Amino acid sequence: MPTLVPLWSDVCLWLLVLVGLWYARQARRHEPLRAPWRAVRRGPMALAAACVLLVYLAIALLDSVHLERTTRPADGAETAILSVLDVLLTPLRLGVETSYSAPFATRAFSQESVLTSAGRVQREYPRLRYGAAHSAESQGARARDIFQRSATGAVAGLALALSALWLALPAALGRTDRAARAAGLTLLALGVGGGVLLALATRYHVFGTDKVGSDVFYQALKSVRTGLLIGTLTTLVALPLALVLGVAAGYFRGFTDDLVQYFYTTLSAIPGVLLVAASALLLDAYMTRHAEAFTSLLARADLRLLALCGILGITSWTSLCRLLRAEALKLREMDFVHAARALGARSGQILRQHLVPNVMHIVIITTVLDFSSLVLAEAALTYLDIGVDPSMDSWGNMINAARLELAREPLVWWSLAAALSSMFGLVLAANIFADAVRDAFDPRQREFGLTPSAPTARVCE
Amino acid sequence: MPPPLLRIENLCVEFGPSHARSRVIDQLWVEIARGETLVLVGESGSGKSLTALSVVRLLPSAAHIVGGRVYLNEQDIFALPAHAMSAIRGRRIGFVFQEPQVALNPVMTIGDQVGEVLTCHLGLRGRARRTRVLDALAAVGIDNPEQRAREYPHQFSGGMKQRALIAIALAAEPDLLIADEPTTALDVTLQAQILTLLQTEQRRRGMGMLLITHDLGVAWQVADRVAVMQAGRLVESAPRQAFYAAPAHPYSQQLFAALPRLAASARPPVAATEAPLLEVQGLSVRFPRRWGWWRGTPDNLHAVEGASLSIRRGETLALVGESGSGKTSMGRAILRLLPLAAGRVVFQGQDLAQLAPAALRLQRRHLQMVFQDPYAAMNPRLQIGEILQEGLIAQQLGGGPAERAARVAALLSQVGLLPAHALRYPHEFSGGQRQRICIARALALAPALLVCDEPTSALDVSVQAQILALLEELQQRLGLAYLFITHNLGVVARVAHRVAVMHRGVIVEEGTVNQVLFAPRHPYTQSLLAAVPRLDVRTP
Amino acid sequence: MSAYLIRRLLYALPIVLGVNLLTFVLFFVVNTPDDMARMQLGERRVTAQAVALWKAERGYDRPLFWDASRSGVDQLTDTLFFTSSQRLFSFDFGRSDAGRDIGADLRQRMWPSLAIAVPVLLVELALALTWALLMAWLRGSALDVWSAIVCVAMMSCSGLFYIIGGQWLMAKLWHLVPISGYGEGLAALHFLVLPVLVGVLASLGANVRWYRALFAEELAKDYVRMAHAKGLSEPRVMFGHVLRNALIPILTGVVVLLPSLFLGALITEAFFAIPGLGSYTIEALQAQDFAIVRAMVYLGSLLYIAGLLLTDLSYVLVDPRVRLA
Repeated sequence: MPTLVPLWSDVCLWLLVLVGLWYARQARRHEPLRAPWRAVRRGPMALAAACVLLVYLAIALLDSVHLERTTRPADGAETAILSVLDVLLTPLRLGVETSYSAPFATRAFSQESVLTSAGRVQREYPRLRYGAAHSAESQGARARDIFQRSATGAVAGLALALSALWLALPAALGRTDRAARAAGLTLLALGVGGGVLLALATRYHVFGTDKVGSDVFYQALKSVRTGLLIGTLTTLVALPLALVLGVAAGYFRGFTDDLVQYFYTTLSAIPGVLLVAASALLLDAYMTRHAEAFTSLLARADLRLLALCGILGITSWTSLCRLLRAEALKLREMDFVHAARALGARSGQILRQHLVPNVMHIVIITTVLDFSSLVLAEAALTYLDIGVDPSMDSWGNMINAARLELAREPLVWWSLAAALSSMFGLVLAANIFADAVRDAFDPRQREFGLTPSAPTARVCE
Repeated sequence: MPPPLLRIENLCVEFGPSHARSRVIDQLWVEIARGETLVLVGESGSGKSLTALSVVRLLPSAAHIVGGRVYLNEQDIFALPAHAMSAIRGRRIGFVFQEPQVALNPVMTIGDQVGEVLTCHLGLRGRARRTRVLDALAAVGIDNPEQRAREYPHQFSGGMKQRALIAIALAAEPDLLIADEPTTALDVTLQAQILTLLQTEQRRRGMGMLLITHDLGVAWQVADRVAVMQAGRLVESAPRQAFYAAPAHPYSQQLFAALPRLAASARPPVAATEAPLLEVQGLSVRFPRRWGWWRGTPDNLHAVEGASLSIRRGETLALVGESGSGKTSMGRAILRLLPLAAGRVVFQGQDLAQLAPAALRLQRRHLQMVFQDPYAAMNPRLQIGEILQEGLIAQQLGGGPAERAARVAALLSQVGLLPAHALRYPHEFSGGQRQRICIARALALAPALLVCDEPTSALDVSVQAQILALLEELQQRLGLAYLFITHNLGVVARVAHRVAVMHRGVIVEEGTVNQVLFAPRHPYTQSLLAAVPRLDVRTP
Repeated sequence: MSAYLIRRLLYALPIVLGVNLLTFVLFFVVNTPDDMARMQLGERRVTAQAVALWKAERGYDRPLFWDASRSGVDQLTDTLFFTSSQRLFSFDFGRSDAGRDIGADLRQRMWPSLAIAVPVLLVELALALTWALLMAWLRGSALDVWSAIVCVAMMSCSGLFYIIGGQWLMAKLWHLVPISGYGEGLAALHFLVLPVLVGVLASLGANVRWYRALFAEELAKDYVRMAHAKGLSEPRVMFGHVLRNALIPILTGVVVLLPSLFLGALITEAFFAIPGLGSYTIEALQAQDFAIVRAMVYLGSLLYIAGLLLTDLSYVLVDPRVRLA
């Protein structure tokens, strides 16, 4: 009987989803919040990007429900913590070869010593145990099989996407305008692509296997959760700090302002990567000293991920804080704030009712703008060994592992390609969506000094 | 009859994105003869500025010319290619914009900005250009042009910037000068100077001039002919004398009716039976230009210096002054929205300046404020109902939600709005309606004194009159006292019992309306009054 | 002016102190010298004696903030915090945990870092400005629209993609340049081409978009309409007015980066085996050499503060509205 075992990061992610849903409810009710989102929805590109993001989110959410399952191999019971995604992708997870194999290959990438039936040791490319195990080895038969499976997958994916469209679109989007068409097409394309990939992935290694023989497609899918968590949880840390300190500094001015300004200038004076690096080193040292507290590899990796989000949050709140302070300085001189003071409202009430709601658009814009740079930063930091735990599936770890094999002839390219392209898909969608959000929430653009530069990524280049 | 200098034929302009276009100029016909000044009058949104921009083909990208022709000296300028149009702008048509603060390039010297026109159109360079630049600056009354030509826009005052803009527009000796609200951003004394300047230059050069304004007083001063626009259409066009003697169109008559004018006040003074409601003594407000110890020594800007005034229950005191005179700071300091540097603010026998924050918060319900810009005075993210309840909640006066809702409904109907409006958001209302809501918000706490800071100056003339009437009615019904801050002497006679004139942070004159407006003693008051554009005509 | 400078420097002082305190807490309080010693000497076969000796060699055997056993001022001064801060403030970075002279290393390794960072900055600025200006000039055209798309796509690629892609394409496939390494003098040129190219490409998309946004912002201002109303031609409006105003934020944005160029680019240097400060930092991180990391943190924050100061000064030079007082 599987039982639910929530990891800390699962809890945080679902909490964020809840916050998102609550915000959506608020936005539906309050016209000033709804209007910009309606503008976002009218953009075909933005809506298509949102669809892609939703697919990524769905993967991450499936991967964020962890169950403890007792598996029964032949010799006795064994428990394992698996996510729903793991369970769904069991064939991919368990189809582990001995080492590298190219996409759709039937045989391994490198020669191994094999004992032939005649009893002699011979060097040859061994047949894969799982990849294309079902099909005949001839080129023609394999191509036919691949085509048949893709066709079945495409049809199934199309059917699924169409039924989803038929159910969801009229209700959610109201009318069939250009944006809705774009979103529909994106969903169809995703449905077909996903269908084909999944249909093939059960029998082939569509992106090959890595050094220890595990399926690269599976890794890429598992990395989605890591990337998304870093992009969103970091915000969870940075946001309250920036919001409270920035708005308070701008509203109260004087000593509070000096203190907050000093605080964030000092913090942003320290090079971000080095702060992350130092914290990572310290965390490592701490974990080594308290090895007994981190028994499970999963829990250890999870905690390290959270710590990374925390420290990234601490390095990234300063820029948002600066923006919010500047905006609060402007807002405090607005007549409606003067009016509230004249009515005898307390500072707390003014901050809550007048300042915070009127800076939220900046918060939203920076949150979506920062998301993509954080996803990219994960890869760079992991490369420097100061990112996520090496045991965790992440794009950074995939690239890092593949990099060591770059000198090989012929090239082992599939791990890199899978990691870079799945990351590119997420970041591109996020960037397009972020653009639309910024245009909708801040039509005059750079009015608040928001720039399309990516500070976290810049430090790491 | 010679051909007109400028002829606008059947101009039609639409505005907005392709799916939601609206007609903003509809079949407009206008002619201007050489040496003639046509004043185009209209309220905001009437399409008068877009007309001017159409003539030089500089409409914002959301606006599209959908029909009509514009001829300059019988030359169809809508048919010209872009480079030929560039040769007309600045050379044949000079253009003066409304906002001198932002129309000049901030990182270029004034001299270069004038000289650019000369280089571009007349090919002047070096010494020849320099001489012409200095001439152009001197012609618009900029003293010491050698030095000022080397300065940047931020070193110029508002009036000086407007002069520089006029110098740029006139530098290449255009045939036609278009001035779009050239004096709106300026104080009344500067306004008079700029209008005189425009008029003399127009006469001297024999140019045609198209002047755009919302102010009938300005039109009276400079026009040869007046054209009135309403909602994109030309409703009346007549020679000045005829127009002012008897405006023909009902809309023009409405504009006249709404016009506040300097007239003897008919309001009897309020009897001095009891102690004044508010007594301000020696009030001073200073703004530190910088704060914080490392930002250097404090350098104070003295906004108000030792000002005193008093207001009785049910009385209106008008505080008159130009922008920067300190009148707004004074109003805010009385409510202690600004820190006081010195002075006493005795309200109902209690010195507000000495009150501790908690006690002050409770006193605040008796003094409320109405702001100049109704667009900025309400939090755009709150519903009207929430805005009106804010004070009740802050002062814990309203009782339960049901009672508060009832109070909101009552307030809305008190200012002439519907109770159902409580669920709407500020952006759904027009400027005049918003100002009514702001008044309702101030009334929610049943105050004794309302500080009205230019409550009508952001509004169109016809709406201004309605708001003034509402304030008057509320005063009679509720016995309110007003401190009415304004730069518009025309409004004063209509609303005030007494007037105080403020100049550079000091109250220079105080007295009854009739004393101050018709027998001013202080030279500043006299110059202020002299600068008011006068309409020496009778309302029909 | 000089009064302003002095005041700014005074203002920088508490920030430097704050940074110093923060790094000290990170490196000495959270991770005590004992931990450091054990890590450096190897976790298992370490004796208390060896730890004590290791600490004494580096002066890490003093108390952290307060020495109760001493008297007078010495209570404060003869502590780890005071002595190590004092050394940092006098730019004496001491020896690394592995025994190398950090100061000498810094002086030697900053040149390769600069050899990459400066060309990247200049090429990038020239390319991005030209491209963004073209986009602004032909706004609304196919070039503008497609450039915007290309820029977003470029921004969405990981920096690692440019590095790996560049190495594979230019070094492995075309054999134009060596994959990695560094040479002395002019020979370095050969090694620098690829890292510089990669560095430019990695941030080009974001910068072009930013500059384009700055141009768009200026184009919407009233003085541009005024310039058109004067009858100026489009090129004159673009170069004489728009570019001149947009250059202010662009230049000051570059100036703030200038000092930190010394720090080098971490990943680029590591991938291309350039012996600069970036790879120095990475090596220190991998060897868990806290002394070097601490020196780099301190240096980095000093350079950041210098950047802020330079930005303020550059505003005065390029923007007539700004006066220092």
